[in-house]
Amino acid sequence: MRAFSLTAVPSVEDAVQRSRPGSAYLAGATTLVDLMKLEVLHPNDVVDINALPLRGITVSADGVRIGALERMSDVAAHPHIAAQYPVIAQALLRSASQQIRTMASIGGNLLQRTRCGYYRDVTTPCNKREPGSGCPALAGGNRMHAVLGTSKSCVATHASDLAVALIALDVSLRLYSDAGTRTVRLADFYLLPGETPDLEHDLRPGELITEVLVPPLDWASRSVYLKIRDRESYEFALCSAAVALDVRDGVIADARIALGGVGTVPWRMRAVEAALRGARAGEAAFVAAAEQAADGMKLLSDNGFKATLATRTIVRALLSLEV
Amino acid sequence: MLGSSVSRIDGPLKVTGAATYGADFAPDGLVYGYVLTSTVGNATIRAMDVSAAESAPGVLAVYTPFAPLKLLAAAGPLGRMWLPLRDMEVGHHGQIIGLVVASTFEQARDAAMTVHVDYDVRPAVTSLVDAMPDAVIPPVTDGEPSVLTFLAEGVSSIEDALAASSHCVSATYSTPVQGHAAMEPHSTVARWDHGTMIVHTGTQGVDVVAADLAVTLGLDPSQVRVITPFVGGAFGGKVFTSAQTYLTAAAARELDRPVKVVLSREQTFSSTWVRSGTVQKVSLGADSDGTLNALAHDTWAARSALVELPGGEPSAHRTSRSWYASRNIAISHRLATLNMPPNAIMRGPGEATGSFALEVAMDELAVMLDMDPIELRMKNYATVYPGRNVPWSSKHLDECYSVGAERFGWHRRNPSPGATLDGDWYVGMGMATAVHPNFRSTTSAKITLRPDNMAEVSCSTGDLGTGMWTVLAMIGADSLELPLDRIEPHLGDSALPSAPLLGGSRGTANVTSAVHAAAIEIKRKLIDLAATHPLSPLRESPNIRYANGCLECGSQSLDFGALLRMVGSDGLDVVTSTGPGSEAQDYAFCTFGAQFCEVRVNRWTGEPRVSRLLSVIDAGQIINTKTARSQIVGGMIWGVSAALHEGLHLEPTGRLANGNLAEYLVPINADIKEAEVHFLTYPDHTHNPVGARGIGEVGIVGVAAAITNAIYNATSKRIRTLPITIESLL
Repeated sequence: MRAFSLTAVPSVEDAVQRSRPGSAYLAGATTLVDLMKLEVLHPNDVVDINALPLRGITVSADGVRIGALERMSDVAAHPHIAAQYPVIAQALLRSASQQIRTMASIGGNLLQRTRCGYYRDVTTPCNKREPGSGCPALAGGNRMHAVLGTSKSCVATHASDLAVALIALDVSLRLYSDAGTRTVRLADFYLLPGETPDLEHDLRPGELITEVLVPPLDWASRSVYLKIRDRESYEFALCSAAVALDVRDGVIADARIALGGVGTVPWRMRAVEAALRGARAGEAAFVAAAEQAADGMKLLSDNGFKATLATRTIVRALLSLEV
Repeated sequence: MLGSSVSRIDGPLKVTGAATYGADFAPDGLVYGYVLTSTVGNATIRAMDVSAAESAPGVLAVYTPFAPLKLLAAAGPLGRMWLPLRDMEVGHHGQIIGLVVASTFEQARDAAMTVHVDYDVRPAVTSLVDAMPDAVIPPVTDGEPSVLTFLAEGVSSIEDALAASSHCVSATYSTPVQGHAAMEPHSTVARWDHGTMIVHTGTQGVDVVAADLAVTLGLDPSQVRVITPFVGGAFGGKVFTSAQTYLTAAAARELDRPVKVVLSREQTFSSTWVRSGTVQKVSLGADSDGTLNALAHDTWAARSALVELPGGEPSAHRTSRSWYASRNIAISHRLATLNMPPNAIMRGPGEATGSFALEVAMDELAVMLDMDPIELRMKNYATVYPGRNVPWSSKHLDECYSVGAERFGWHRRNPSPGATLDGDWYVGMGMATAVHPNFRSTTSAKITLRPDNMAEVSCSTGDLGTGMWTVLAMIGADSLELPLDRIEPHLGDSALPSAPLLGGSRGTANVTSAVHAAAIEIKRKLIDLAATHPLSPLRESPNIRYANGCLECGSQSLDFGALLRMVGSDGLDVVTSTGPGSEAQDYAFCTFGAQFCEVRVNRWTGEPRVSRLLSVIDAGQIINTKTARSQIVGGMIWGVSAALHEGLHLEPTGRLANGNLAEYLVPINADIKEAEVHFLTYPDHTHNPVGARGIGEVGIVGVAAAITNAIYNATSKRIRTLPITIESLL
């Protein structure tokens, strides 16, 4: 970790004014400080935004607005979210550890960096950390890496569980910069690595996430987040599924499915959703539809199992909702 | 007292943060070192540019192979150790190649980041399987030839014996490289105090570190003192004196400043020691009733290109040396050389990996014979040590099996694999045998009786988290017939009477035996004092006896403190040494166990989860049932870890792909459901007067095999490679 200045700011305007090349916002500090210790990130100026008025969870007919500085644990415990959007609460509770969930903010969670071991080890090349230096994961240890949305430059997996649930629910983000405010769909916010894996999202210099806007979706009360991993807790997903199901008289009226642990960004499974629509809910339909999930996957030396795991994870998640 | 459950007497110190581990010592004027490590696996260092580091703020010294610290290559008690900075050769990724010392830790670390190293890089050899053809047979393993064959009369080879068996299983098993990952990172604080080197470092043997430092620094043994009252886990990773300890001590002397070096978490993986991976071929030949006719076990493991250390993972094949009575036994061991961190000792070295192969093979044979796995093991129960024809000092493994089967509900196991579903989860049970050898070593202990009626019990042993502080107090209380709070234990100081290295599960049995002997001596000495000292009220009394801290004679009773005060003594002490006797020739000594496991495997997504574990352990007299249980449970959890989680991946460059606690997985609390321990407590007085045997390692030994066998029972998938992860069960 290198020496840096730390300034706490009281308002969104102050925060944005403080921002300059080489500065970083600090909320829960659960990713930024880790990566500073590892020398992956070395901001000169750290702007502490915890005092900003970006708190609160507001429920209205337009859905739910979640302040960007709300803590993961508080959002998971919110009665309306737990009842109407169990997929969000479960994604949060299956993330990280209790200590981290108590500190980490919702906005920060959506911006957390990949867990790719090469990205985190400055003695190795990494196109995301040092553009043009190369990607050892392509031929190296890539069991945890992505099979969707990859490029020759980067196969790093997006690490957030929450983002998977939010992609399934088609949420938007409110953003603030000195150019004003704007709203961006989360699905458009994340960028595929392509030739520029260092560019991860559509956030302009100095721009802040101020709110997460969750649209209303009545039938999201029947939703689940299933996370498959190498141990029971405190571990990232090999594959996860955020699933919501609208079943009427035994027939699937609609479905939302997104996968984590398999994509360079959280991955909406629209083909699986389409295959489910109109089918009679049940194992046969779930298995048939889930087969679509493997389409287009680019498997690496150590993660070929993710094709099977992805389809099975979807089936298991769907079965858990079929009451 | 012995066998009761006593909470750790040092528990309050630990939970309040007052226990002083090696890195907690902070002498006045302390400065900080940061080690530089290689970023290639096989190379010669051409140049190191340290100019930026040397001029960085606060930097006091930069040591490299070009500007080394003086260390003398000489053999310490465990042989000749690899010493850093003595040449330009790099044998593994993460090898220590420099030390930066500065006024603060941050200055040292930041300066170290600026050092640029030029290497002549050679291709690294990192795959054990690829290196197997070049493996060599070490002349000796555990005191015997590395290739051993015991054949029945008239049998010409093990191959013939296998061919003549009606039932035969033969398979290859493999285990990965593992890291010790102790909670306390390797660290050293060294102070050069007017010609004496005082060192604090997490170690399994303060005496070993003191002797190693004396020879490498060219000091008289009396000039080195190592003081480490608490060690935060070791598991074999702190048996050998760490490279950073040599550098820290040498730098402290050269700079005449106390120096502290703490390895980063990543460096504890890359720059200390590992357990080698193994490839093991096991063939079992049996009659149709299960009687073993042939047992062949050939193993391959790796040693580091950097250094050949004694110990290590050479003995996996030796599980098959003595675990079962087979008419014909053939075992062999080969070592390949890899560019990996040095292969040292790790909990159950040989036994934990060897049992995985042997005990899974036994399960495969039981399946082939359609026989209960316990019945197969009882059919081949060994009553004499094969090839030596001596009995074990005390062996109740048969009872471990029967008690374990009863307590675990083994009769509820469905012998048909893949046939038991609970909702979406396959459920299966498995078991395995666990055996670990015992070693009697020369051990000294001191007892001091004080005028304030306290008794000091002292020995240079350590507490690795095992509970030795409490054990030392308990054996003192038991053998001096005093309450626990009148015992003051002392340990973890090389100035104390010498105890053996804490390896091979030898701590408790040896230390308690020495204290037991010292107690007999001090009682005799005390009675003698009472009977002969002119100021003693019991002078010339006949038949003085010692009971409960008092000297008794007829109706008179006098506590030892009072006697010492009356005679003007400031303390009465004795140092006693004990060690092995002729029993070593007449018996074999082992701790035994039967380990049972229930697993659940999801039928859709394949994740294996352990739902129940039971160990029934035959370890002689248990000293402290509470900490002993904790030792066994700790071993069992590590067994779960070895079976389902752990594996260090060496990349082709020699880099450890997952040498950190984010990616090197171990179980968390939620992974461990029920873990039960039951002790059979038959005191083993043939082994030592206290009757105790070792318990440090046996807890891990059979668990990986039991889990693997349970997974087969649950899913009908036979896995022969560890760790068992989701992809092999989808």
